[in-house]
Amino acid sequence: MNRLNGNISRIEVSGNLTLAHVEVTPQLVLKAIVIDTPKTAAYLKVGQEVVLVFKETEVIIGTNSQTKISLQNQIPASINKIERGQLLSKLNLRTITGELNAIVSTNAVKTLCLKTGDAVVAMVKLNEVMLQAL
Amino acid sequence: MIKLDINKELQAATGTMTLRLNLNIESGQLITLYGPSGVGKTSTLRMISGLMQPDSGQICVEDETWFDAENKINWSPQKRKVGYVFQDYALFPHMTVLENLNFAKAKNQTNSSISDLIEIMELGQLQNRKPESLSGGQKQRVALARALVQKPKILLLDEPLAALDSAIRHKLQGFLKTVHQEFQLTTILISHDVGEIVKLADHVYQLEEGKILKQGTPETIFIEQNLSGKFKFTGEVLKIQQEEIIGIVTVRIHTDVVKVVVQHEEASKLAIGDQVLVVSKAFTPLLYKIEVSI
Repeated sequence: MNRLNGNISRIEVSGNLTLAHVEVTPQLVLKAIVIDTPKTAAYLKVGQEVVLVFKETEVIIGTNSQTKISLQNQIPASINKIERGQLLSKLNLRTITGELNAIVSTNAVKTLCLKTGDAVVAMVKLNEVMLQAL
Repeated sequence: MIKLDINKELQAATGTMTLRLNLNIESGQLITLYGPSGVGKTSTLRMISGLMQPDSGQICVEDETWFDAENKINWSPQKRKVGYVFQDYALFPHMTVLENLNFAKAKNQTNSSISDLIEIMELGQLQNRKPESLSGGQKQRVALARALVQKPKILLLDEPLAALDSAIRHKLQGFLKTVHQEFQLTTILISHDVGEIVKLADHVYQLEEGKILKQGTPETIFIEQNLSGKFKFTGEVLKIQQEEIIGIVTVRIHTDVVKVVVQHEEASKLAIGDQVLVVSKAFTPLLYKIEVSI
């Protein structure tokens, strides 16, 4: 699983849902939505140190910054290593906050002509990100 | 309420160990003693049942004092209202199921309690058979019924299901839950099966070297609470397959079997039989309504 450490910088609550903004670095804020509120989960408070946890198979790869897309969790990265299988490929990515892995189709790697050293954007939907309190 | 305040020097594999427990167990609860072998779990049950005497302390059950070292009170095992079930069924081989149950009866007890038990434990078809012709799960049902004949207040279960295969174990867990509720028992279960503990126990005491290391609900002891995923189950690894790029882990969750995709490195840290937490966000699964045709 991918794990990124950060601090909760902002909280938006509506009903039983909370959207947490997590500052991984000052330039990189990622969001996660959870079925909890500050009343049901004490860790949901500004300043709390958390780990953002998400699966490699949920990571989407774009070749440049995507603006016309609903995905707001966008992490600039460069490809460190590509492991190719017949159907699936694993991309090991270097980001300002550490390593990430993405599992995408081998076909997508071919179509996008992805190769080691390329600059890409790794994206993940906010409902795919879990929070782990530290 | 069971008040247990006991001290006992025990000979463990690593040398002398002092078991020191101070527990208050609410009536009607099902609690689990959990921990590695040789930490004093079985000795605790033996002291509650009167088969072993603590060096010092007290055992009080509701308003009765069963043991008090200072005042030299020590009730005999017969006088203590305790049912005891072990991993090994300990049935009389020359007696039928019914005879085994009748043998456990108190002198003035009527037969109606036995027939109730036969019904609850689904032993009707088996009552005239001898233990040798029964399966492990059937024998353990008889042993459980026998432990309940004298209507105990406390049921002590020392890894009762450990020798059974998982399907039978699952079925008997259901029986344990039923009798615990039906007979309004206070039950103390020793188990190593995390899935079983999560399913049955109200409260867990995790022991280490004769002391309580941690206590709480099974969820707080075994399930990583600080992870926000709401789709969370404990399961047992049945199979690990390394495919290209990914690994596929087959996990038994209660009686269902699911598959989870993991990375190779994650799969390589798992072994068959490992307990795992299967966790996902509540946003991911789909729900299909099951249409029941009448």
